[in-house]
Amino acid sequence: MSKVYVVGVGMSNVGRFYERSLRDLAAEALFKAIDDSGNLTPEYVVVSNMLSSQAEQENLASLIADYCGLRGSSGFKVEAACGSGGAAVLVGYSLVASGLAKVVAVVGVEKLSERTTPEVARGLAYAADADFELPYGISFSGLNALVMRYYMMKYNVKREEMSAWPVLMHENGYYNPYAHLRMRITVDDVIKSPVIADPIRLLDSCPISDGAAAVILTSEELARKYNDTPVLIAGIGNALDSTDISSRYELDTFLASKLSAERAFKLAKLSPKDVDVAELHDAYSINGVVTLEDVGFAPKGMGAKLVAEGRFRIGDKPVINPSGGLKSRGHPVGATGVYQVCEVVMQLRGDFPGVKVGGEVGLTQNIGGVGSNITTIILRR
Amino acid sequence: MWRLKDILLNLVGTKCLNCGHVFYPPKAACPKCSSRNVKKVSLGTSGKVITYTVVNVPIEGFESMSPLIIALVDTGGGKVLTQLTNVKPDEVYVGMEVEATVRRSATTLDGYVPYIIKFKPKERYS
Repeated sequence: MSKVYVVGVGMSNVGRFYERSLRDLAAEALFKAIDDSGNLTPEYVVVSNMLSSQAEQENLASLIADYCGLRGSSGFKVEAACGSGGAAVLVGYSLVASGLAKVVAVVGVEKLSERTTPEVARGLAYAADADFELPYGISFSGLNALVMRYYMMKYNVKREEMSAWPVLMHENGYYNPYAHLRMRITVDDVIKSPVIADPIRLLDSCPISDGAAAVILTSEELARKYNDTPVLIAGIGNALDSTDISSRYELDTFLASKLSAERAFKLAKLSPKDVDVAELHDAYSINGVVTLEDVGFAPKGMGAKLVAEGRFRIGDKPVINPSGGLKSRGHPVGATGVYQVCEVVMQLRGDFPGVKVGGEVGLTQNIGGVGSNITTIILRR
Repeated sequence: MWRLKDILLNLVGTKCLNCGHVFYPPKAACPKCSSRNVKKVSLGTSGKVITYTVVNVPIEGFESMSPLIIALVDTGGGKVLTQLTNVKPDEVYVGMEVEATVRRSATTLDGYVPYIIKFKPKERYS
């Protein structure tokens, strides 16, 4: 199996761009990534997206490849709900590792600002169980709220402790020029913000964002030839759990977070203590906290408490979400996993334009559903 | 919805005949031991609230039913995600005893009016 390197990254800003189209955002990210790679031409364009059907557009690989002057290349879309980006990078990795392609572009894109919040909330709920959860009207916020209440009761976590997560995210995201919500917030702001799905408040929740991010993946041979700063995909793993939350063994553990991280660490021959910087999938404060524990950065039940005590910020090992995470950078749903890879690659290269961590080893974890489809990626300088 | 009427109106789960694991919603094989030797079982009609939420921001189609009280109820046979009815949001608590009842759900986007099992506070008879 050939080693696989990230040799180019490109991101659009994350936000609500009423004047821009899906293809326009995708082209910005893809062209930036190609330029960053030393002008490699992708043989494959692998696109990640979740909800383009709401704008009556599917068949995204053809659309984007052709719009970007790559007619005749190969490609398709990968869908794994909010975890589409990480899953698409795994597919791109496989194409290069297997030798089927030498240069692969993975483009994550999401464009939701024309849709109303109830429409997008319904679309996101399609990642839950359509037969056994949707008829009850449960939203994604609602499903995560069930987990948050259970977790806080089981481990006696205070509201103030849980609020430390979004405060840290906004502190980091404030410095990220790509971020959707660049403002500082306080614990008091979180506690007084409107209730979305009790106990989840507005400032526990990520925004619904537009955005596109792209990476160029290539083999060792081409990586060394065209690029001075290739970053190795040292490990990668995906795991599935139930779509429904009724049949989960544990409500306060994401089995797929744990298993996908174990698979990625095994392939990389590394462990959580080796990680310098990580981008975790904090769609809600509770997701950040639970996966901090399930990846192996905090003991069970201690995630929120450790963040409240001041852990995981700049100067610590690991630093978590220097981008600001989904909370502040934003959540361009199907693109988020690709953003995470771009951000960690830039951290390891030393050219991330926000909070700088540096280091040797980075990790990304991208979640689809309520922890039901998770990809973990380990990157090494 | 029609094909689901027996399941949604009767609270049917699955029991694995190989390892004994009981779970809801029904599946074609056991999530624990992968055995396909499973059978449908009734989950019972009462249980206790394990965790709950009050959804203030509805998804499309549920605007008129907002706020929704959604709970995970342990029926003893398996955990069931459900809506609570006949109760106010501030009256719900973890450990609350509830029982199944048939209620109307929101009209689907294609115009059907589904009836589903919801749970209400258990009535006590003295």
